[in-house]
Amino acid sequence: MIEAYLIHLIILIGIYLILAISLQLAMGFSGLLNLGHIAFYCIGAYVSALLALNGFPFWLCFLAAGILAMIFGFLLSIPTNKLKGDYLALATLGFSFVVYAIALNWASLTRGPLGLPGIPKPVLFGISFSDNFSFLVLTLVIALISFLIIKKIVSSPFGKALEATRDDELATRVLGKNTFKLKSMALAISAFFAGVAGSLYAHYITFIDPSSFTLLQLIPVLCIVIIGGLASLKGTAIATIILVLLPEPLRFIGFPSSIVGPARQIIYALILLLILIYRPKGFFGKVELE
Amino acid sequence: MITQLIVNGLIAGAIYALVASGFSLIYSTCKFVHFAHGAVIAFSAYFLYFLFSMLGLNFGFSVVLAIIFASILGYGMNLIYKQFRKRKTSSVILLIASFALLIFVESLILILFGADVKTIGYIKIARGLEVFGAIITPLQIAIILISLVLLFLLFFFMKKTKIGKAMRAVSDNKDVAEVVGISSEKIYGYSFIIGSAIAGIAAILVGLEQNLEPMMGTNLMIKGFTGAIIGGIGSVSGAILGSFLLGFVENFGIWFLPSGYKDAIAFIILFIFLLFKPKGILGIKRSVEKE
Repeated sequence: MIEAYLIHLIILIGIYLILAISLQLAMGFSGLLNLGHIAFYCIGAYVSALLALNGFPFWLCFLAAGILAMIFGFLLSIPTNKLKGDYLALATLGFSFVVYAIALNWASLTRGPLGLPGIPKPVLFGISFSDNFSFLVLTLVIALISFLIIKKIVSSPFGKALEATRDDELATRVLGKNTFKLKSMALAISAFFAGVAGSLYAHYITFIDPSSFTLLQLIPVLCIVIIGGLASLKGTAIATIILVLLPEPLRFIGFPSSIVGPARQIIYALILLLILIYRPKGFFGKVELE
Repeated sequence: MITQLIVNGLIAGAIYALVASGFSLIYSTCKFVHFAHGAVIAFSAYFLYFLFSMLGLNFGFSVVLAIIFASILGYGMNLIYKQFRKRKTSSVILLIASFALLIFVESLILILFGADVKTIGYIKIARGLEVFGAIITPLQIAIILISLVLLFLLFFFMKKTKIGKAMRAVSDNKDVAEVVGISSEKIYGYSFIIGSAIAGIAAILVGLEQNLEPMMGTNLMIKGFTGAIIGGIGSVSGAILGSFLLGFVENFGIWFLPSGYKDAIAFIILFIFLLFKPKGILGIKRSVEKE
């Protein structure tokens, strides 16, 4: 029993880690205040679930989830490329509402509020990941690969150019970098990983509905990114583990589950407020939000 | 059919205008996106439900208390924001902080009142009157009238009273306003009190017209700031104009799209404006590129 519970927590940590480091790439390294990250997660989950339910193999669903999210990330970056700060935050938030409204209302495709049940567990190279332990291994491998790829990206010349764009866009353009293209690519790559995380989530829970992709879901991810510290991957990883585990004791105190959910959100919201007041750079952050 | 859509647009617009004007008042002086304005609305509506439907207090008394409650809540949030201002944090951090406040209050409502939909039930469902072939209930007429009167009062307040003028001065140029002896912190406080009181009134009207649900604040907030951006963020009269426009577009949009897409329509308009006219119809002051 306790083992099953631990495995569940570690799988959640893996999924959140992918979500958080991908948001970190957009927010921390590229300075794009993207509040629409959950939309890419949502797109990934739905694409993967719908393909899988129509009998496509897992690897295809998984990749399609990432690629479609990436396309949407790229498309979103076109109109929002010139926007900054508050305006970018509002526009990306708007995007996530549009995606949510579509998931809720395009009932012939997504079954609307009823959600999509019976998403099959992944099968890769003839191996079935139907029990939670093997799913844990799969999640950790994917999370680790994602982490390494993003680490590689941010330490590459491309990543440095992204940071330069974040710090001083004009100067970067003077140096001959196409900052629009840089920002578009950053958002697209970030969306790719969010889509991948969505795919993992869909195949793990085996049921998705639009309520899993509301604004409320953004709070933990945002919290992780800011507490870990902007532009710090190490901080993000540590913060993911701590923040996923932090509200768990609530379950053992014996609160009913209708209270545990909102209580979790309250804890995250409070932590976020406190950290923003007293340590806006987070614990390992290198830059401040501007 | 057309008259019905116009009437529906007016009703929606009136409510959005109340939300947007309070939000925009706060934005114009404090210069950041106060998302938690939606939470003030939601919590005040629930507070009215608590006083009137649960405790059984007199309706008029409950309404007054709910409006006062909204002001206090808004002022309390301002005290939190003050901690940020002391440390000179950027408007983006304030935006995230207000987002956290919004989630905080909404989750609190969930814990206190539960997730199920509530009805205040003060007004028994009345037969709608027919006006030029459109059906409108007495409550909806009241909503339109009350919001028009309020918006007019707000306009008058901003133009003629001393505090209103001081608010416009701070909104225009905080440093110069301080030089002539206007305390900007005080003005921020006033903006939150007045803006939130308007939010409280909006909450009552919405609470009577629709059901209460914990996430109602977010939804109204989206409409409010879309209206504000369409009209020109930071200009209260622009916000009012934008809100009515949004009310009409949404209701006419149902001709083309299923009604569930109402929220999406609001955001598509928001997008179009952010792209092509980020300063809105009336906004002139702020440039997107700079901030």
